[in-house]
Amino acid sequence: MIERVAMTAMLGGLAALDATPVAQTLLSQPLVTSTLLGWLWGDWATAMSVGVVLQILAAGTLPVGARTPEDYAMGGVVGAGVALVLAPVGVLQPWREAAQLVGVLAGLVAATAGVPLLRWQRRRNEGLARWCEAQLLAGDERAPAVANLAGAVHSFGVGVAYCAVWIVAAGLLLRQPVEAESLRLSSAWTLAQPLWLGFGLAQLLSAFVQRRLTRAGVFAAAMVGAWLTLVMGTP
Amino acid sequence: MAGLGRLILWRIALRANLLQATWNFERQQGVGWVYALQPAIEALYRDPVERRARLAEHTAYFNTQPTLASLALGAVARLEEQRAAGAGPDAAGMARVKAALGSTLAALGDRLFWFSLRPFAAVLGVLVALARPETAWGAVTLWLCYSVVHMGVRFAGVEWGYRGGPAVLGGRLRTYMEAAVTVLAYAGCIVLGVAVAWSLAPGGAPRPIAVQSALACGLGLGLLSAQRARPSPTQWALGIGALVLAASWLQRF
Repeated sequence: MIERVAMTAMLGGLAALDATPVAQTLLSQPLVTSTLLGWLWGDWATAMSVGVVLQILAAGTLPVGARTPEDYAMGGVVGAGVALVLAPVGVLQPWREAAQLVGVLAGLVAATAGVPLLRWQRRRNEGLARWCEAQLLAGDERAPAVANLAGAVHSFGVGVAYCAVWIVAAGLLLRQPVEAESLRLSSAWTLAQPLWLGFGLAQLLSAFVQRRLTRAGVFAAAMVGAWLTLVMGTP
Repeated sequence: MAGLGRLILWRIALRANLLQATWNFERQQGVGWVYALQPAIEALYRDPVERRARLAEHTAYFNTQPTLASLALGAVARLEEQRAAGAGPDAAGMARVKAALGSTLAALGDRLFWFSLRPFAAVLGVLVALARPETAWGAVTLWLCYSVVHMGVRFAGVEWGYRGGPAVLGGRLRTYMEAAVTVLAYAGCIVLGVAVAWSLAPGGAPRPIAVQSALACGLGLGLLSAQRARPSPTQWALGIGALVLAASWLQRF
C-alpha cells in the first residue's frame, strides 16, 4: 500500500512536469494518468471511471497566454488516486461507486486549489530568471541550464508533495465515511456521472461548433447516425 | 544546409522541450528561450563577452504557444546568424521581431493546438475509453494523437523557421495550419456526436431513462454555461457535484 501511494505521488510529480515545464505531451492529462494508476493499483474500472469524467471536464481548460488554468494534471492524479485508496480491490459495487464520486470531487477541488500553488511557483521563477541574467553577465554560461533544471525540480517536488498530501489525507479521513455512506454516495454517482459527462461534452461541442450551423449539423448527423447504428445494428 | 548545421537546429529543438521550465509572470518563457537558443549563439559568437551579452539579451520577455515556438527559434537563429555576420538587426530590432513572431505564432498556435488538437485528442481518447474501458487504448489514443503532431512540429519547426526566417508564416505553412484548424473542428463534431450516442446507448443497449435524462440535462446546462466565461466549467462541475450530494443526503429524510 505504501509503495503504491509513493508511486502515485511520483506520478503526480511527472504529471506536474509534463503539464508546463517539460515537453507538454499530454502525459499529464487525467485519462492518461488514471490509466497508469489503474494499472499500478490493479483496478481499471475505478481508475477509468474517474479518469473519463475528469478528462472530459479538463479538455476545455486551456493554458492560453499568461492565464493560470485549473491544474488538471494534479486533479487527475489526485482524483484517481483518492478513488483507488478509498476502494480496495474486491469491494462491492456501491462502495466502488462511492469512491469514484469522492474521487472526482477530490480531483475537481485539487485542480482548483492547485491554481494558487501554480501562481506561487511562477512567482518564484521570476527570481530564477533575474538570477540567470545576472549570472550570464557575470560570465557563467551554464546559468540557463541550471535555472531550467531548478524550475523543473521545483515543479516535480511540488507535484509529488501535493499529491501525497491529498491521497494520504483522503485515506485517513474519508475511508470510514465512504464505507458507511456507500449506498447513498453510489446512488449520487449514478446521477452525477452522466450529468458531468453531458456537461463536459457540451463544453467541447460549443468550442468546436463556434456558432456555425454546418458544424452543428455535422454533429447532429454523426450523433443520430451513430445512435441508429448502435441501437438498430449495421444494415 | 549552409550556416547553422542540422545538428545545432536539432539541439535547439531538443532544448525547446524546456521552454517553459521557468515560466514566470515577468519574462514568461524568457529563460527557456535563451536555453533553447544557446547552441546557435555559441556557434555564432566566438568572443565570450559578446556571446554572454547576446545570451543575457535573450533572457528578456518572450511568450508564445510552446509548440510553434520552434518556428520562432529557427527564425531568430537565422537572424542571429546574419547579425553575427554584421548584417542583421540590432538588439531593439531583434526584440521587435521576437514580439511580432511571438504574437503571430500564439494567435495561430492557440487555435490549432489548444482550441482544436487538444480537445479533439481528448474527446477521441474518451470515446475509445468509453468503448474499451478495460484496456489502455483510450489513453494511448489521446497521447499519440496529440504528441505525434506536437513533437513533430516542435522538431521540424526549428528548421522551417530557419529556412523561412521571420516570414516563416507568410507562405503555405499558414494555409496548411488554418486548414488543419477547420478539419479538426469538423472531425471533433463527428467524434463528439459518436461519443454522445455511445453515452446514451453503449454497445447498442440503451441506458436507463433516468441516466439518459441526466446526460441530456448535463448537455443543456453545458451549452448554456458555455456562453459565459464565469463561473468556469470546473466551478459548474463542482456545483453539480454539490447539488447531487445534497439531493442524495436529503433523500434520507
